Amino acid sequence: MIEPLILLKAVTKDYNGKVRALDQVSLEVYPGEWAAVMGASGSGKTTLLNMIAALDRPTSGSVRVDGEDLLFLTEEDRARFRREKVGLIFQQFYLIPYLTAVENVMLAQYFHSMADAREAAEALRRVGLGERMGHYPSELSGGEQQRVCMARALINQPKIILADEPTGNLDAENEKTVMEIFHDLHRRGHTLLFVTHDPQIGTQADKIVKLEHGRVLPAFPVKALRSI
Amino acid sequence: MLGRLLIKSLWREKARTALIVLSVATASTLVSAFLNIAFTVTEEMAGELRSFGANIVVVPKSEPLEIVIGGLRFVSPGESAYLEEADLPRLKAIFWRHNIAAFAPFLSRVVEVEGEQALLVGTWFDKDIRIPEGKRFFTFASGAQREAASETETFRTGLKSLSRWWQVEGEWPREDEDGALIGSGLARRLKVGIGGRIRIALEKRSAVLPVRGIARTGGVEEEQIFVHLKLAQDLFGLPGKAEKIQVSALVTPDNALAARASRVDPAKLPLEEYETWYCTPYLGSVIYQIEEAIPNAKGKAIRQVSEAEGAFLARMRLTFILVIAVAILAASLAVMATMVTAIFERRQEIGLMKALGANAKHLGLFFLLEAALTGIGGGIVGYFGGLALVPLLSVRTFSLGGFGLSLSLQAAILPITLLVAVSVALLGSFFPVKEAMRFEPVKTLRGI
Repeated sequence: MIEPLILLKAVTKDYNGKVRALDQVSLEVYPGEWAAVMGASGSGKTTLLNMIAALDRPTSGSVRVDGEDLLFLTEEDRARFRREKVGLIFQQFYLIPYLTAVENVMLAQYFHSMADAREAAEALRRVGLGERMGHYPSELSGGEQQRVCMARALINQPKIILADEPTGNLDAENEKTVMEIFHDLHRRGHTLLFVTHDPQIGTQADKIVKLEHGRVLPAFPVKALRSI
Repeated sequence: MLGRLLIKSLWREKARTALIVLSVATASTLVSAFLNIAFTVTEEMAGELRSFGANIVVVPKSEPLEIVIGGLRFVSPGESAYLEEADLPRLKAIFWRHNIAAFAPFLSRVVEVEGEQALLVGTWFDKDIRIPEGKRFFTFASGAQREAASETETFRTGLKSLSRWWQVEGEWPREDEDGALIGSGLARRLKVGIGGRIRIALEKRSAVLPVRGIARTGGVEEEQIFVHLKLAQDLFGLPGKAEKIQVSALVTPDNALAARASRVDPAKLPLEEYETWYCTPYLGSVIYQIEEAIPNAKGKAIRQVSEAEGAFLARMRLTFILVIAVAILAASLAVMATMVTAIFERRQEIGLMKALGANAKHLGLFFLLEAALTGIGGGIVGYFGGLALVPLLSVRTFSLGGFGLSLSLQAAILPITLLVAVSVALLGSFFPVKEAMRFEPVKTLRGI
């Protein structure tokens, strides 16, 4: 029997004891699966992604990723978990402005083990940026920056790719390019978890988890959503 | 990667980097300047203080019985023991020979001068002596030997170097011709001036000497007559003898080790302490080495001069240390203020690094190395800033003629300045960096 790669059980997250961002959320994502977490702004999508990326801790419940219970990890172990197990892609890209595209990718390698310019360049070529690797973020378009961000997320071959509104800041053309890369990753067996409010992006996943006010709505068949 | 990250990060934040370099450079300039001055001033001041006379007197082990009445010293010749004049050059062959600034032998008797009684003192006025040649080894109790470089030059010393505050009207008598230097009080009583002649008699011997100079000293010397040592030896029938030697030595203020050595026989100190004591120019260790060099001699400290000198130099050092400490504190606070702002401005970058898996070691190494590099930059600027400041400070503030520190000493100050500069940068960065390690990536990425 295949174990889920991501397993959340009754996860609740309160802020200051007043705001409940997540309320008894349970979720399973299997290896090689593409899951999309959808919902309106403030529904708790990003909070859920932060829990899985070991960037935040739940108030209650359990978060198990690749067999590790994140609740009991020390700060040092959480840092190790992030650099070894997950690749993060952000809506705002978050590239270091004074490093070139290839150096931004090498930074993730440096924290993981050892920076290798040749490998980093190859990762950029795979996302179609072979000619732009010496450019600084300010010299790249939004789509190009997002592709640098993807190359950085993939460079250490993580088990899970976590993406927070990856096409949120992109125009239609760049959105298409980026989504093609995600499809390619999925075809090659990567496990993907997206957070998005865009049904067109969400419906490309195998599984959709809909959040509303921090609660998971009853399972909604993807095919039904696609037909809307 | 770390190198690229550091260089690009520093270059991108040029204004902030320059501000930190400037803060560190300010403290380093003071450290460099004061270290330079501390070496120069203490050396020159010690030299100046030495002009107030001898701080060591060397006498024979069996000291003659002497009675002093009204400034006149009466000695029973039969009970006297003497030092050999020929042994005096050995003073410049001891371990701390370079700290022997001046010395002069003395041989005195009460004589009759123009019907009055006065003390006639034979001494060296300004004599060239040849320093003993050959290699010398200093052997410690451990058996370790330290070789002293052989010296072949001559050394000019005597009463003129030893008593630089004396005011001499006329001229100092020469070593190669008869002549007397007479105290101003005695000259007045004898009604004799420069160019006049005085007749000196002791028992059946007598001599007529021209007066070359009249000395005002503010002390008992104003009632005495000074002639060159050979003349006194002939007159007293004591060829080659001296009854005491006054020595002016550059010494370092006593500390706990020196105090301990003065209470016990230094040779009974633990081996390591003995060697430290021997190789430090304390008044006690210099005296010890003089006693080793001159047979049957006993050295005594003229404490008043030495202690005043030691206290002055110690206060001077304390002042320098305090100024440097305040400068370091001020610079550290300035660096801290800049770093707190810098860390706050870069919180998103720090959050991203943490999200990518950077741990406390990665972040600490990055930010502290960044601080250390700016510290080195500030240290280099400060070192040369200090060198530029020294001539100004030494002339304007300390009234020193010029800046005369040797290049080797100047070079020795560079690593100290760099060490202080890096410490200032690290000290100022420590708490902001510690705070940065506690940033929560979720909050900083959201810009909270």
